[in-house]
Amino acid sequence: MDKVLENYLDQVDRHLRPMQASERADIIQEIRSGMLELAAAGLDAAQICQRLGGPKELAAAYLGDAITKSPGFSWSRLGSILAFCGLAGLGWMLVLPFTSVLAVGLMFSGAVAPLAGTLQFVLSLMGISVPYIMFQLGSYTAPPAVAFPLSIVVGALLFLAGRRLWRFTVRLVQTIGQQYRKLGVQ
Amino acid sequence: MRVEEWRSQSKRGTLELCILLMIEKRERYGYELISELEKRPVLAAKESTIYPLLRRLLGEGLLSSCWRESAEGLPPRKYYSLTNTGQTYLQTISAVWEDLSAAIQEIKEA
Repeated sequence: MDKVLENYLDQVDRHLRPMQASERADIIQEIRSGMLELAAAGLDAAQICQRLGGPKELAAAYLGDAITKSPGFSWSRLGSILAFCGLAGLGWMLVLPFTSVLAVGLMFSGAVAPLAGTLQFVLSLMGISVPYIMFQLGSYTAPPAVAFPLSIVVGALLFLAGRRLWRFTVRLVQTIGQQYRKLGVQ
Repeated sequence: MRVEEWRSQSKRGTLELCILLMIEKRERYGYELISELEKRPVLAAKESTIYPLLRRLLGEGLLSSCWRESAEGLPPRKYYSLTNTGQTYLQTISAVWEDLSAAIQEIKEA
């Protein structure tokens, strides 16, 4: 068989590594058989490769189907999912839980900090000290009058960072959605 | 763009039905199925769609497969046939398809 085609099969095989060896061998043998049929029909190696699409994409199609096949957890399945996400350009998907939770957390902190700062300031004016509200940075604890403006600035920064991250997360979801659809039937 | 998306979505389920219907007639191999489908542009699908789909149906126990030698100069082929589960499944989704097209026709004529 043509060297280009052997090379193609090697690449598919490599990308299918999270699958069982026997399953992988069977897949490769079937693709090889299809290649030989195409060759017998008069296509040359370049045309055959073009028909099959990139080896990465072909492997991703198998991995994608293998993932949806069984719902249970196993390490090899996790391996398949990771490999599939990598091949499909969905690696970012793994970041989503972190960015979304972090974004919400930042926005929440950003909103709470000025409220606490204001409360502490007002209470301190009235001569009441609240031990559980304080502005601390390392070993430095700001007195209420300083903590009040600081809490507003820091709160605003936290909130902006959170909102930024949230927008980033939303855009990421949209991009991933589009890529995911592209993997379907053409 | 909108049409393309709709087309690919409707094709997703129909392709499975068509493949099972073809295999029901007699056992088939991947390349044969792809060539058959290609004769009808609306159903045409590439290797990267059909092979993984066959593999999934195999894994779900709807199909069984066996490798057979073929004529001189041609590679061994992996033939697929319906299992009993596959036969039942095909009957059910076939009926759903009939219902669906009858309903569409009814709405059109209403």
